Amino acid sequence: MAEVHIIGNLDGGEGFSSPNLSCKWCFETGGAWRLLEGVKDGQTQVDHPIDEGIAHWSHPIDLHYAIKGIQGWPKLSLQVYSEDMYGRTQLVGYGFVHLPTSPGFHKIECPTWQLAGSAMDQVQSYFVGSGPQLINDDVIASGSDRYRLQTIASGTVYLSLFLVTRNFNKFGIES
Amino acid sequence: MADNSLFLVMINGQVESANFPLYDDLYCRVSVVYGADWLLVSGLEEGTSQITKKTKDEKQKFVWNFPIEVTLKSTNPYGWPRLVIAVYGLDAFGRDVVRGYGSILFPLIPGSHKIQMPMFVPESTSLLQKFTSWLLGTRPEFVDPKFVTQSDGREVTRVRSQGSVSVTCNIMTKDISSAGYVVDSIHSHKP
Repeated sequence: MAEVHIIGNLDGGEGFSSPNLSCKWCFETGGAWRLLEGVKDGQTQVDHPIDEGIAHWSHPIDLHYAIKGIQGWPKLSLQVYSEDMYGRTQLVGYGFVHLPTSPGFHKIECPTWQLAGSAMDQVQSYFVGSGPQLINDDVIASGSDRYRLQTIASGTVYLSLFLVTRNFNKFGIES
Repeated sequence: MADNSLFLVMINGQVESANFPLYDDLYCRVSVVYGADWLLVSGLEEGTSQITKKTKDEKQKFVWNFPIEVTLKSTNPYGWPRLVIAVYGLDAFGRDVVRGYGSILFPLIPGSHKIQMPMFVPESTSLLQKFTSWLLGTRPEFVDPKFVTQSDGREVTRVRSQGSVSVTCNIMTKDISSAGYVVDSIHSHKP
């Protein structure tokens, strides 16, 4: 059985409409992947950076998969939330990134986008504090039904991950 | 399938220095945290550094130069060791208060590595609590600093990030390739 380990950190994020951020993350894989150890989704702490630069999460990621096929390579889907001074949370970015396929260290920058509402939505979100959100989160990491959306660019999420593979050469996989 | 998948990881390094613009008189508590499949073969997994003052010049550096030497064995990379540092300082009244928590993953690739660890400290929820904690010296802190290496329960914590700690480490592994694991390739980045 071939195995894959993904060990690293969800480092932080910057460039969003507010510097006080947290991130909800989730790994999605195909049917040939079985999670043996580790947590495949979670939410980071909310960070208020003192210099209003990068929000640091240093959130640990440690996953151990057993795989029967390389289809459905893991994708990490992210939702970034910001918190204002009243403690209200607002969604400020959606993004996804594929995990690297080569063993070793990878520094990853994930670009994010958010839904651009109408002018009325933007006025409402300024006062009430919540913009339009996706009903179905599947569209974050998939390409179907994207054409219906109108979005605007948002900040960047940083990850640093080590990938370890086991028995790939026995199954003839080159990575 | 590899019959014997036991491998050893040796970590030598130090907690070099820190950058905390707002504070002085700091010391740190250092621990190496690892998963259930791992066993500490030699070395100390916890330690406390000396109290250091920052330099009077514009660099304002704190230097601890605190050694980390551990050797661990495992059959499984899951739970790869992480370093947790909790920095404490003296406040204006001379009491110990926590100034930051941070955690890094020790690199999985053999070699020398220099890593910057961003530090963050839990925040009080209300203005009144901020004031009483300043007055009494009872700042919000985590019950166990190892909390920052776990994934569960982090979403309810609100923190303020400030400062960083610089850690250098040398990683050496034994029998990790013969156990069947490939940890590096020409397509990866330099840590």
